Amino acid sequence: MPRFYIDTDDGVFPVRDDVGHEFASVEAARNMAQRALPDMARQKLPDGERRTFTASIRDENGTVLYVATLSLVGEWMVPRSTA
Amino acid sequence: MPSAPDTHSLNTLVHKLQSIATLSDEERQAILSLPARTRILAPRQDIVHDGDKPSQCCLILDGWTCRYKMLSEGRRQIFSFHIPGDIPDLQSLHLHTMDHSLGTITQATVAYIPHESMRELSTRFPRIGEVLWRDTLVDAAIFREWMIGMGRKSAFGRIAHLFCEMYLKLEAVDLAGDHRCPWPITQVDLGDALGLSNVHTNRVLQEMRGKGLISLRGSTLVIQAWDELMRASEFDPTYLHLEKRAA
Amino acid sequence: MSNPLIMKLEYGARLTDADRDILQDLSSRTRRIPPHQDITSESERPENVHLVMEGFACRYKLLPNGKRQIMAYLVPGDFCDLHVAILGEMDHSIGTPWGCTAVEIPRATIDDLTAHHPRITRALWWATLADEGTLREWLVNMGQREADKQMAHFFCEMLVRLQIVGCANADSFNFPISQTDLADTLGISGVHVNRVLQELRAKGLIAWKSKRLHIPDVGRLKAFAEFDPKYLHLTMRENGNSRAEPRLS
Repeated sequence: MPRFYIDTDDGVFPVRDDVGHEFASVEAARNMAQRALPDMARQKLPDGERRTFTASIRDENGTVLYVATLSLVGEWMVPRSTA
Repeated sequence: MPSAPDTHSLNTLVHKLQSIATLSDEERQAILSLPARTRILAPRQDIVHDGDKPSQCCLILDGWTCRYKMLSEGRRQIFSFHIPGDIPDLQSLHLHTMDHSLGTITQATVAYIPHESMRELSTRFPRIGEVLWRDTLVDAAIFREWMIGMGRKSAFGRIAHLFCEMYLKLEAVDLAGDHRCPWPITQVDLGDALGLSNVHTNRVLQEMRGKGLISLRGSTLVIQAWDELMRASEFDPTYLHLEKRAA
Repeated sequence: MSNPLIMKLEYGARLTDADRDILQDLSSRTRRIPPHQDITSESERPENVHLVMEGFACRYKLLPNGKRQIMAYLVPGDFCDLHVAILGEMDHSIGTPWGCTAVEIPRATIDDLTAHHPRITRALWWATLADEGTLREWLVNMGQREADKQMAHFFCEMLVRLQIVGCANADSFNFPISQTDLADTLGISGVHVNRVLQELRAKGLIAWKSKRLHIPDVGRLKAFAEFDPKYLHLTMRENGNSRAEPRLS
């Protein structure tokens, strides 16, 4: 089975996957990358109004095959007195 | 408040234990002569606190209670919901310091039974001791099932699973039937039990109602699509160990 | 005396020398279980009760969609399926992805113990109740703690549980589990496990090399995880027992 590496970044702590995972297909790797995003978001939210979480798939040659991004954008719709 | 032994209240315990094992006349008599003090408690009141060293355990006669733990920043994790016939703090018989709290959800009637009497009962009748032990083991099985839900099931699956679980527990003590049961648990309770935000819990309940799977009106839950809920939550009732064992 | 069963059950009841002899005898015939083998499978009604003497086993459940959840780790001195002798049927599986040494005890022997040896019975009941306390703490972890604290909490728990049976020193223990096992334990994705591990390493809270987990500053990891061991119910019974309190530093 091919080995893929899933690198992640929550905007504060980028992680380069040093172990990798064996997947039956690149689609299976894609599912794994996407599933990591809500886990990462759960750990870092709420914190501010803007945050981007990414998970990307690298193959054994180092080529990046896929990037999944989850973004938080919070915006007030009424004027706020600065606290 | 009555402080004399209340034989009527202990019938609830006999009834519960007989749903698990067959009791002899002598065993039944011994249970009925346990000293028990009955109390009526207001909703949302603690029965035992985290850190207490209780000397009695409490049998639920009427109403609902839950076990929970408070964390920093007002966060709360609920571990279990308890209904009449349960002794939610039975474990305090052998674990001397409470590692969590037990409180009421609705107004509840409870009977307090001294640990000493429970110990004497289970020493004199090892089989009763075994049935009580069994009850704590079923609690553990339910904890494991909730853990699977939190770890590996969707919010929809977790809520559907809890509906199926509570319905079957209530049915086993004749408090539910025709896929209809009392449901005093609020959305906040539900979220705190299943590790979900209140907002998400509300979304899922609306989805279930919208699809005609359940209805929730005035503290009554009607499960309109039992098979669908069982399937969606991968519910297998084995862990409740509800079938009566040959004695 | 270095029998993990006895070391553990001392916390559950005031055992006498006669009780210790019975427990020693109970745990003498060990058997090696190779890696990736189930000790008991779901819906079985096992004839023997299993007790771990060396290595690790776990309780787990495989869901129809192929997902796995590990609900407990069983370390030396832990019974795998004692509750089955009482409940009758397994509602989950017990396996050892890592291999372990276990003892098989016939159910009839357990029945005999619970009928005739009240102190041992009390200790066994205590052990199942302490397991239950652990399940509750894991629910707190999964429901309320972030993955980094949850993982740190799990490492603290393993350290303390292994220390009381003499299988860990002050700050390290052998820990053969994989990142996939860890993901299925904490209920998070494997990718996130890798992230959190690297974060804990970067903070200097743990080092995990050659299947051995090192905790450079145990107090710091416990504080980070908000770890309070009271849920393990390891208060020694006050009695004529001469064994000293173990160091739970």
